[in-house]
Amino acid sequence: MAKKQTAQAEEKDRLDGDPAFGYRALPGIADEMLDPDGNVRPVWQRLLSALGRMDETDLANRFARADRYLRDAGVFYRAYGGRENSERSWPLSHIPVLIDEAEWAVVSQGLIQRAELLERVVADIYGENRLVQEGLLPPALVASNPEFLRPLVGVKPADGHFLHFCSFEIGRGPDGNWWVLSDRTEAPSGAGFALENRVATTRAFSDLYAETHVHRLAGFFGAFRDTLQARKQYPDDRIAVLSPGIANETYFEHAYIARYLGFMLLEGEDLTVVGGRVMVRTVAGLKPVGVLWRRLDSAFADPLELNQSSHIGTPGIVEALRAGSVSIVNALGSGILETRAFLAFMPAICRHFLGEEQKLPSIATWWCGQQSERDNVAGNVERMVIGPAYSTRPFFDDNGQSVLGTTLCEDGTSVSEWLGTGGGKLVGQEVVTLSTTPAWVRGRLAPRPMSLRVFAARTRDGWQIMPGGFARIGSGDDVAAIAMKAGGTAADVWIVSDKPVERTTLLPAEESFTRNMPGSLPSRAADNLFWLGRYIERAEGALRILRAWHGRFAEAADPKMPLLKDVTDYLAALDINTRQPVPDSLLANIDSALFSAGNIRDRFSPDGWLALNDLSRTARKFHVTVQAGDDATHAMTILLRKLAGFAGLVHENMYRFTGWRFLSIGRYIERGLHMTRLLGHMSGPEAPDGAYDMLLEIGDSVMTHRRRYNVNTAALTVTDLLALDPLNPRSVLYQLNEIKTEVELLPNAFVNGQMSPFYRETMRLHSGLAVMTPETMTPTVYKQLERDLERLSDLLAQTYLG
Amino acid sequence: MLYDINLKITYGYEVPIAGGRHLVRVLPASIPGRQRLVVGSIGCQPTPGERVESVDFFANPTTSILFRSVHDSLAIRMQARVQVDAQALTADLTPPLAGLPSQLAACWSVDAESPHHFVGPSPLLPDAPEIAAYAHAIAGEGMTVRQIGTAICERVHRDFIYDTEATTVNTTAAEAFKLKRGVCQDFAHVMIVALRSLGIPAGYVSGFLRTLPPPGKERLEGADAMHAWVRFWCGTAGGWMELDPTNNIPASTDHIVVGHGRDYGDVAPVIGVLKSYGSHTTEQAVDVIPVG
Repeated sequence: MAKKQTAQAEEKDRLDGDPAFGYRALPGIADEMLDPDGNVRPVWQRLLSALGRMDETDLANRFARADRYLRDAGVFYRAYGGRENSERSWPLSHIPVLIDEAEWAVVSQGLIQRAELLERVVADIYGENRLVQEGLLPPALVASNPEFLRPLVGVKPADGHFLHFCSFEIGRGPDGNWWVLSDRTEAPSGAGFALENRVATTRAFSDLYAETHVHRLAGFFGAFRDTLQARKQYPDDRIAVLSPGIANETYFEHAYIARYLGFMLLEGEDLTVVGGRVMVRTVAGLKPVGVLWRRLDSAFADPLELNQSSHIGTPGIVEALRAGSVSIVNALGSGILETRAFLAFMPAICRHFLGEEQKLPSIATWWCGQQSERDNVAGNVERMVIGPAYSTRPFFDDNGQSVLGTTLCEDGTSVSEWLGTGGGKLVGQEVVTLSTTPAWVRGRLAPRPMSLRVFAARTRDGWQIMPGGFARIGSGDDVAAIAMKAGGTAADVWIVSDKPVERTTLLPAEESFTRNMPGSLPSRAADNLFWLGRYIERAEGALRILRAWHGRFAEAADPKMPLLKDVTDYLAALDINTRQPVPDSLLANIDSALFSAGNIRDRFSPDGWLALNDLSRTARKFHVTVQAGDDATHAMTILLRKLAGFAGLVHENMYRFTGWRFLSIGRYIERGLHMTRLLGHMSGPEAPDGAYDMLLEIGDSVMTHRRRYNVNTAALTVTDLLALDPLNPRSVLYQLNEIKTEVELLPNAFVNGQMSPFYRETMRLHSGLAVMTPETMTPTVYKQLERDLERLSDLLAQTYLG
Repeated sequence: MLYDINLKITYGYEVPIAGGRHLVRVLPASIPGRQRLVVGSIGCQPTPGERVESVDFFANPTTSILFRSVHDSLAIRMQARVQVDAQALTADLTPPLAGLPSQLAACWSVDAESPHHFVGPSPLLPDAPEIAAYAHAIAGEGMTVRQIGTAICERVHRDFIYDTEATTVNTTAAEAFKLKRGVCQDFAHVMIVALRSLGIPAGYVSGFLRTLPPPGKERLEGADAMHAWVRFWCGTAGGWMELDPTNNIPASTDHIVVGHGRDYGDVAPVIGVLKSYGSHTTEQAVDVIPVG
């Protein structure tokens, strides 16, 4: 041990004399931290010397802080493939990439020009088609392009622009200049992850971040938010992020962006088109939507006019676009700009439209639908990557559809013949290498290839480039761009100034303070909240009964005692099998709660989400390990505690507004049902021995009973306490009281001065039960009450969730 | 020829549905030099809550209808009077197959009539190697594009059995090809894929067909249904030509065009999105009656 420390100390001494601490760029490859002469670039010096001063423990703690932030914030992306789809934690490369603001200004100018050019191209494709007519864009690349959406031809965007938010993948070549590897115009993802990368990275290097003049990201988002706000045609229009839903790999980001910018998070099913206007179904009725920031692919947006197999779209949305009543960001059909073969024609189109060269060139591309270009690709095949012309994915990220020319040569493929047959379906692209940037690999800085994702937003003052973004870091040291596959990591990008930077925040200035009430709750969100409440309460009910059952099972001399048998039958009717200590149906129940919660991740805290996940994981573990009897009793107690943890987090933290009311009503209805059913079954005169005590235990009312009634448990006192006591939070009457309170505060409780059917039924049930006495609570009454509560749930769904 | 056309499409829903939005493409188009819509209208029962008329990318008249109230059946009725001229079949001006690509490349347009829309695969008609092999075997050395089209039309007609039970609207061209059975939609789809595999632009035509009554017999009213055939591009001078593989004839005054598209999906008579938990039945009745 001592010897090892000495070796480390010696190593440290040796590196102290080296400003780069042993970091070396790869020969012939540009590096972000070192200039071509091997000197540390000025913007990196502070970070590098700080890193040099940190010992391994300090650094490990810092990285752990960043990772913990991401975990606690619930940052994840959904990974496909393998045996099952799963949520993966976000792979942060802790060392940021630092770029000088002067250099960034050049990159930004290039990207602004590019965004402007792309706007002109897409407007032409869905408009006049001059590019095709004048021979600048081959007609096949439009007409045979699956991204060309014919129903959108001639539809002018309501606000005059097709593109509002784009991203670009850029890389730096060996000569130090930047190249555009691909354009993202369809539904660019990653901006939210860039924000989270920033927060996580500043957790690791808060001291450095404070000392370094790093451009902030908030101003960029704020400007874009304000621009979208300004696009509304009517003051009561909503602005929403339109997500394909929870199954999407970047759903977390959709929820995050929506929450960050204060927009609604909607799915196609939330929307309907009425009179040429897009409306969101809310619990207060249909409300107009003026701007949709779309994160689903264009073709899926409208099953009527676009992809007819889409289940995530809104029928009629194209009609609304034609009517000019809604702005969709970016316009439907913008994805055509991502077509790989388009890169071949951009230089000439740029000269045509803007009368200048591209400031930031794309990687050299040749479309093989033309003879001379095909010959060029065939003649220089060893310097080419060849892939599908109509692909909208960059060649390094297309699931291996693109091949290196050298591989073709080795295979003995006749390239010219292959290109002749494939022709217009293929493009050749120059093989490019990327620059490297330092990553922390096995205890030291090592050069890793990187590309940058940069974001552009159209604001009222024109295009703005996000001062930052995120860097994709390759996992190995192969700098060929084609080697950049999924599985690498992502790093924050710091644009560094030598002067103090403006510190914007998205929080409004104090003088403009207003207190906004949350907007109308979408019906689908209300539905998920209501069912989350019901499933959670259903799980709790089952857990309580099972715990009481196993407690008695453990102590029972006779496992066939009537009470156990009776409760077993009762549970069997609810599809709960007592032969399984943690029954399948209980797990299914918790999963349903998790599913409902997953659909409304933007509505409650990451803590609640983690608590619910923990409950699910623990229940699964117990399902395999737990034995009947004491072991199960103990397990149920743990699960109940975890469940109470979740409920407590929600109860303590959730804003008391419409969403909360639906969640609560779900819980009250389910709890009322649970108690009504139990009492109907177990409180009658022929109940088996011990039933009343068991009821009190399930109803968590043993102590109260002892205090309130000066007698042994009996049918009447149990009924009084568990059915009719307005102060017992587990009694049926208590639930109806609470439902009544919440219902009065829901939208449309009164319609034209009259009670809604749902309100009326709540009142009827409440007063009906309030006037009952214990003697009158017969099994028939309970049966009727059970049906009434189910009906109340149906009425709520009809009134608010349709 | 002047025709009066009556079409009735009815849907019956097992479980009543609360609403729905449909796109209807059943009204014959006016196509210069081919046919003229004298008068035409579409009616629906129940009456839609909203109705919008438009013309789609391929210039087909399109009606969008929206229902808000609960209904258990839907009837769409189209009535039209149409003046139809036969396509002008001149001498064969079409190039040999090898000459087509350069004529296609010289066509710098993506408007609705541009052949470029009809060369590549379309949503319902992906490439099908077995149909491509079939087409290559038919296309002989030195044949003109029109000769190839005619030969494929004849072969599809000969090799396939007209069978209303064998396929559904969702049957793919490759499946129909394997079965060698189907209805007009399948015949047309197979022929389109065959032509495209040779680089010949080919599209789907939906419409009505007047079935000529046998001599001395009464015309069978209501026996006709909506029909489909093929049009393909024969080069700059040859233009578009329509062939009917179900009957192995060029489209004539017996063929009344409703719409042009790349495949059935572009011109399906009724596309609907409705929330329904039950099944539905559908019926179609067509009368195409010559006037005067």
